[in-house]
Amino acid sequence: MNLKSPLKIAMALCLTLALVVIPLLGSGCASVPEETTLKVGFSICYTGPAAEKGRPMGDAKLDCMKYINEELGGVNGYPIEVIWRDNEYDAAKAATIVNELISKLCLLFTTNSSKMMQASAEIANRNEFPGFAVFSTPALTNPPRHIYAQMPDYGDDWAAFANYYLENIWQGTGTPKMAMHLLNNTTGYGARDAAMVLADEMGIEIVAIEEHTTTTISEIESLTRIRALNPDVLYISSTPQPTSIIVKNAVELGMYPGITIGCGHASFTKVLVDLAGADAEGVYGVFPTVSWGDDVPAMAKMTEYCQQYHPDDYGNMDYITCWAEALIVAEILRLAIENVGVDNLTPQAVEEYGFKKLDNFDVGGLHGPVSYTPGDNRLSKSVRVFEVQDGEITPISGWVEAPLIPYEFD
Amino acid sequence: MNVDLPAGTRNYSYAKDMAIFRTKTHWAWLLVALVFLFTGPLYWGEHWLSVANLIGITLIAVTGLNILTGYCGQLSIGHAGFIAVGAYTAAVLTNRLELPFLVGLISAGIIAGLIGMLFGIPSLRVKGFYLAISTIAAQFIIIFAINHWTSVTGGFMGISVPPASIGGITFISQGSQFYLIMAITAIVIFLAKNLARTRVGRAFVAIRDNDLAAEVMGVNLFRYKLLAFFIGCFLAGIAGSLFAHWIGFMNAENFTFMDSILYIGMMIIGGLGSTVGPILGVIFIRMLQQGMTFISPVLENTFSSLPAGFTTGIGPMVFGLIIVLFLILEPRGLAHRWSLFKASYRLWPFSY
Repeated sequence: MNLKSPLKIAMALCLTLALVVIPLLGSGCASVPEETTLKVGFSICYTGPAAEKGRPMGDAKLDCMKYINEELGGVNGYPIEVIWRDNEYDAAKAATIVNELISKLCLLFTTNSSKMMQASAEIANRNEFPGFAVFSTPALTNPPRHIYAQMPDYGDDWAAFANYYLENIWQGTGTPKMAMHLLNNTTGYGARDAAMVLADEMGIEIVAIEEHTTTTISEIESLTRIRALNPDVLYISSTPQPTSIIVKNAVELGMYPGITIGCGHASFTKVLVDLAGADAEGVYGVFPTVSWGDDVPAMAKMTEYCQQYHPDDYGNMDYITCWAEALIVAEILRLAIENVGVDNLTPQAVEEYGFKKLDNFDVGGLHGPVSYTPGDNRLSKSVRVFEVQDGEITPISGWVEAPLIPYEFD
Repeated sequence: MNVDLPAGTRNYSYAKDMAIFRTKTHWAWLLVALVFLFTGPLYWGEHWLSVANLIGITLIAVTGLNILTGYCGQLSIGHAGFIAVGAYTAAVLTNRLELPFLVGLISAGIIAGLIGMLFGIPSLRVKGFYLAISTIAAQFIIIFAINHWTSVTGGFMGISVPPASIGGITFISQGSQFYLIMAITAIVIFLAKNLARTRVGRAFVAIRDNDLAAEVMGVNLFRYKLLAFFIGCFLAGIAGSLFAHWIGFMNAENFTFMDSILYIGMMIIGGLGSTVGPILGVIFIRMLQQGMTFISPVLENTFSSLPAGFTTGIGPMVFGLIIVLFLILEPRGLAHRWSLFKASYRLWPFSY
């Protein structure tokens, strides 16, 4: 075999690395006795199609873990050992990652997105390996097994907004007509599922359900169909970029202002306001956390770490969400240690004596209180309603608790 | 004459000439490989077993694509869509209708094969770039249908899939699934190897090399092209079924256009039109992906001055770089390097 060319030698080296060194890396070199650590796993979509949200979320988790270990001395004196992997928003990779976290004896794991948790959930459930997703779809926690939701799901968003709309915005008589514009995945259809269950009961008529993709560049056509049905309110469950396009198109068509626009939490961030500009003025949305700069106990430390280690993330609501996630992880471990002792920690013990013992835990005021309720695997159940006022996302309500919706999934 | 045989080895019968494992050394290596493979669950952890399972499933899919594209020359960029057909067929049959795993597995292959044939019909009139576009359409149409046929597929909310089960044995752990997946993978590779040496395989190659000449020689293009689509997509369906039972929950987002591109990348890196090509390509790419997941956190911790997110971007960059390097330096893929290595091994210590 002629290997004289430097490029060919480089290729041979790449092959050797991939086929020989990598499995050795995986086999681990931990023969030296180590201090007791609390292993947790983070499956993060740092790259791939969801990196826009995944990167600040991953940064926040790791920054907060650094804070917990370095400034708080870990949990009850035991440092948290984080095993994090980039799942690239790829289901197959997420499945191998959750297996790795199980085999490395992690006590619990988290993912950012509902898609990545769906890819991991069945394997985790079969192994009784508890975990929670930051953003989640109702299907993850219905029926409740070993997977939890950190915050209210996309269906809860709809329910909370619809309730607020009926009580505070709707001025007409009879039944308000709502159109829904949904992202073509669980983010969009989680909201639709809630509407299907609750709309009649709440007294809202769903007149149109349109869907869009993450890469949409115009929704003029779908909005024209919606306009013909003369709705009172348009609810968008999507991510920031498509939502900004829908809002701008609604302005172009003369629909907005005129109707009310409400958004689910996956889109209601600073990015939406940046992209939609003045057209976003007056748009409502729900979000489960406070805003940057709010006067809550955890804000100062979170801001300090963010500005020191990841200044680009400052102002991003997803950073707040995942800083809170790391605080919840620490609290779950604390409860489990206090209940069963550090020597008896297993994933099952952490679930039974950590997750299920959460009772009104305050995540430094970053989002609503965190509690476990039997039969309801949503840990935090509260959102707040916001409105874009003078280019700022401004809270206009206190914490609104979203009721448990009786879904029936396969 | 089999040119892969060591000097001095002669075939004195057709049976010997057709044998895949011809010499005692071949058999010894096969035995060693099988022992290594099937004792894997004893010393590999759950993680590496899950990687091996993913490799096995991907290998079945890429072997199907290799028959379609590598042997028959019909470029398909919608392979993930056909895998999705198999996965959802298995999910619906085993979840909603509670049919046995094996019924779901075979049905997944057949349904995916039939759908593949449907999208293969344009192959008689169009080829190359145009056929590629029509298979891209297959990818999008299939995923759209899955997402919107909610009453059957569960739509965007997905559908759960029970663990595979045969005769009272349920394959839940990664170790038990490993035996199931590897057994099916071995059968698929064996069949693919033999298919290439049959009349059908030779017809495929004739069509790939020059379809006009093949037709003049009496090869029925329509029949053989559709057959290639059926076989390629049948294997995609089998892979989809195994994937569904392995991951346990189906969502159409698991079958992206990028996955279809990835399968082609694996085939190019491994080497088109050979049985060993998909094996090497799939193992290489899947291990590379795993390597990148390990390396990113290590680099992030070691070089804290690197910009945020830099290390995690290395994976996609390396993947792209390797594909470019292979296309420039070794377009015949790892399979060609493997045959050069074997030739040099047989001749050692003599250079020529």
